[in-house]
Amino acid sequence: MSNQGKKTKTLSRRSFIKTGVAVTGGLMLGNQLGIGPVHWSARAQDYPALGNFPVGDKVVFGFNVPQTGAYSDEGADELRAYELAVEHLNNGGGMLATLMPSSLTGAGILGKEVTFVTGDTQTNPDAARDSARRMIERDGVIMFSGGSSSATAVAQQYLAQEAKVIFMDCLTHSNDTTGKDRQRYGFRHFFNAYMSGQALGPILAERYGTDRRAFHLTADYTWGHTQYESMKQFTEAQGWATEDNIMTPLTTTDFSQYLTPVLNSDADVLVLNHYGGNMINSLTQAVQFGMREREVNGKTMEVVVPLYSRLMAQGAGDNIEGILGTSNWDYKLSDEGSQAFVTSFEAKYGFPPSQAGHTAYVQTLLYADAVERAGTFYPPEVIRALEDYTVSGVGPGAVEYRGCDHQAFHDILVVEGKAPSARDSEYDLLETVKQVPRAEIGYECDFFPGELGPYGDES
Amino acid sequence: MKKQSLFARDSIYMLIAAIVIFSLRWTLPLLGGYSELATRMLIFSILVLGFDILVGLTGYLSFGHAAFWGIGAYICGYILLHFTQNILVAMILGVLIVSIIAFLLGIITLRRHGIYFAILTLAFAEMFYYLALAPLQKWTGGDNGLTGIKTPQLFGLELSGLAMYIFVGIWTLIALYTARRIKNSPYGLMLRAIKSNEERLTFTGINVFRYKVMAFLISGIFAGLAGTLFAAYETYVPTESLHWTLSGEIVIMSVIGGFGTLIGPMMGAAIVLYLENVLSAITDQWNLILGVIFMSFVIFLPGGVMSLSKQLRRLFSRDQVPANRTESQGGD
Amino acid sequence: MSFSQFALQLLTGLQIGAIYVLVALGLTLIFGTLGVANFAHGALYMIGAYFGLVVSSQLGWGWAALLVPLGLFGVGILFDRGLLQFFYKRPVTDQILVTFGLAIIIQELARTIFGGTTKPFPAPQWARIPVDIGFGYYPPWRLVIIAVTIIVVILLFILLRYTKFGLMVRAGMRDPEMVRYLGIDATRLFTIVVGLGAMFAGVAGIMGGPAYSIEPGSGMAMLVPSFLVVVIGGMGSLVGAVIAGLLMGLAVSFSVIFVPAVSQVIIYLVAVIVLIVRPRGLFGVEGIG
Repeated sequence: MSNQGKKTKTLSRRSFIKTGVAVTGGLMLGNQLGIGPVHWSARAQDYPALGNFPVGDKVVFGFNVPQTGAYSDEGADELRAYELAVEHLNNGGGMLATLMPSSLTGAGILGKEVTFVTGDTQTNPDAARDSARRMIERDGVIMFSGGSSSATAVAQQYLAQEAKVIFMDCLTHSNDTTGKDRQRYGFRHFFNAYMSGQALGPILAERYGTDRRAFHLTADYTWGHTQYESMKQFTEAQGWATEDNIMTPLTTTDFSQYLTPVLNSDADVLVLNHYGGNMINSLTQAVQFGMREREVNGKTMEVVVPLYSRLMAQGAGDNIEGILGTSNWDYKLSDEGSQAFVTSFEAKYGFPPSQAGHTAYVQTLLYADAVERAGTFYPPEVIRALEDYTVSGVGPGAVEYRGCDHQAFHDILVVEGKAPSARDSEYDLLETVKQVPRAEIGYECDFFPGELGPYGDES
Repeated sequence: MKKQSLFARDSIYMLIAAIVIFSLRWTLPLLGGYSELATRMLIFSILVLGFDILVGLTGYLSFGHAAFWGIGAYICGYILLHFTQNILVAMILGVLIVSIIAFLLGIITLRRHGIYFAILTLAFAEMFYYLALAPLQKWTGGDNGLTGIKTPQLFGLELSGLAMYIFVGIWTLIALYTARRIKNSPYGLMLRAIKSNEERLTFTGINVFRYKVMAFLISGIFAGLAGTLFAAYETYVPTESLHWTLSGEIVIMSVIGGFGTLIGPMMGAAIVLYLENVLSAITDQWNLILGVIFMSFVIFLPGGVMSLSKQLRRLFSRDQVPANRTESQGGD
Repeated sequence: MSFSQFALQLLTGLQIGAIYVLVALGLTLIFGTLGVANFAHGALYMIGAYFGLVVSSQLGWGWAALLVPLGLFGVGILFDRGLLQFFYKRPVTDQILVTFGLAIIIQELARTIFGGTTKPFPAPQWARIPVDIGFGYYPPWRLVIIAVTIIVVILLFILLRYTKFGLMVRAGMRDPEMVRYLGIDATRLFTIVVGLGAMFAGVAGIMGGPAYSIEPGSGMAMLVPSFLVVVIGGMGSLVGAVIAGLLMGLAVSFSVIFVPAVSQVIIYLVAVIVLIVRPRGLFGVEGIG
């Protein structure tokens, strides 16, 4: 109800500026009937108001990232990438030159200038929703994006569905985001726990052999559980045995009491299904406990970290050397799209972007491209344009948002922590071991149960 | 005669409160907020009202009020998710269970004062938080929170947006009226007597413990009610609703508003939520700013915003004898 | 459970407890003497850890071992003169509030200066390679933590038992009023006690930093369990703090073997049970709190 009121307000204000008071009423009526005379996009008026559609003079994006809390550095990098994306959308540059096929013009979206507002999720789902609400209601964002945890992503997806405003998930790796909790109004470019297992399994067997016993420490929440399940499944498929798994509470900072049971087991591989601060601490402490020098059954013990991020690699310092994991993207990738992004990012900020920044940037561009292709900001049409559409030039290989669950499929990376001596800068932390092609990862649409929900224009 | 004028004053008070409460949704956007923030503010104001009955009146500082809010929210959310969309059923059950828990916790914790009481309530609340986070995650959704709650209904009417706002507004009014009645009743007087000198009160043969437990229970019910409304409004329950940072936030709200004044903490809630939401969009240092504001209040204005207006009034009307019955809040 | 498993878990429990003890000693000392509940004590721990990180990476570990305790002693004195002294006579509620506010501010300042991300805090070179201790390999740094804690506890007990200063502190802990009547400069005494408390927190910080790594939230995360330790031990009881700290560490460590899911709940559970059975804590003194 209030949305309706606001829409009229924005409309009339715009008209006021454009044509003056006298014709305001008539113009509005015209708009409603779809015969509006002067407008940026005539087609926009074919659709009824929905969510924050139609948009005003300028297009407003909302970037909701953690600016305080443990993931604030990651959030800051996302924000840098978002700003860059907006700059490129308005003025050209970056991946606009490499995206194939592209409808982007470099002069805004559908001729409108793009602006943005920001918010702080605090990596707290409640705060994230609160902040997103402000963007949706007060600032009238047509799309919002961001996040550094699956809990905030999932919470915001539900809000997006409710408010009929598209949400582009940023850093969320849980299977749930595009599984159990998938939403029509949410899209994810980032890969997930299941894919990590798929990519990592064969490499682990190649490196460490097929006769291994793995001990898992798993963060006790849904992401951890799914990461454990997939690691177990794909390592056992290679012939590994699973010795044991301990669920560690999410808020743990001292993992020593979980590491001592590992020392007393027969396991010769330690898998740390941890993320963020959890991973930094568990890996650091595992090294302190001598896990890497340990000899079990005549083999040297190995540590595996299924999901890497720059933030975590920096936090764990030298301890990451030689440790395998997966990553969505890396700034050293040589494909045209990645390099175009890295070059412009470095030019603006003086250092290379992280995978979080890459996902943030790509998502913004892909949304904008979908709007151009749909010819309207009307969310259901934009969603349809995003679904089952393949592009290339935004990273290695092609990218496709699958229509059935809104998960993007693209090449992902198996990476290895670099030795301090092998690094050429403080950002050069991970070495790509293998670029795992899109064809080798994936699963059926109904593998994870879930419902996307309505587009919002069904009658 | 006198009684009637008192009644009239009461009506005016409630009328003004009603006007403020029901206009917030439209005044807030003018101040850079947004309309749904109003609903949120009202829900939190119910929470701090209850907190004020306990802390403001009896002086027992609880650091575990998140427990009541969170449990109320989880139960309401769980019922809405799995059993019925009828909001009243979910709310009644939520508040009922919270009041049982509050009663039991009150009996255990109120045997201690000061720091022991604060830590004990904190310990209980943290226990619930960690239970919800891991061992009970099958039911609570763990770190993801309780997702996918359907929009609640009131006799077939979908409660969201404006309807939810009005629904919450009515509850806020009821809560304020009740809290005021409690504060101004002989019972409220007794609670304030506990604050000023509990020992003396005990010597007069009054069963002080019973009064304290009642205050704790009422306080818990308010928090539980607010929690159920929160779940219904958000259609989502985050684990953070049980975390001690929320308990801390309630304390901050109350201090900024002014303990023991009812209206003060409500204003404090609105101020903190406003800062948190609007300021965080401008600067990532909003936490620091909030911390500085909070500390300034503790040090320089222990009576909160409410005492500020009083001090200003005193400043402008020099000739009037200051009659500050609630002045001594922070210091005793 | 095999012997080596039991022994390792026991050692781990002692080590977890050792950090709790270091933080809790300062807390309980300050509360016992001044009657102030210091919610900013976790922040002091965090300052110690960050300070240790900066000094050890710039000047080396020798300097860190010297400068951090001294620096934190200074911070403690500043903290007392600048803020706490005005709250000696205020109700406990106000003390909690003002120190809680300070803790928030310090945490946010740390975030501004060092960023929100967890910082790697490498232990000294010699303490990085696990050593054989008979029933398994153990990180030397964690053995150092236990050793340092034992030394600190012994030194503190000697200080309190055999020096004039200790006598005054003990008198103050028993009856703060009496100290004044005896004509002792209570203000100076109090300030030194706060300095000592902060120093212990600093030592805990530089010990805990390399073991757990460090981020702005570390202080708050340390505060709550440490306060529980103090309350379980009995506010103002040093013996209580030591025993309760070790008890907590062991509870956390051994719960992992039996029910990992409750390892976070366990300390609160222990706290609640102890306080219900013994409302003043294990070694609580009548008249305090």
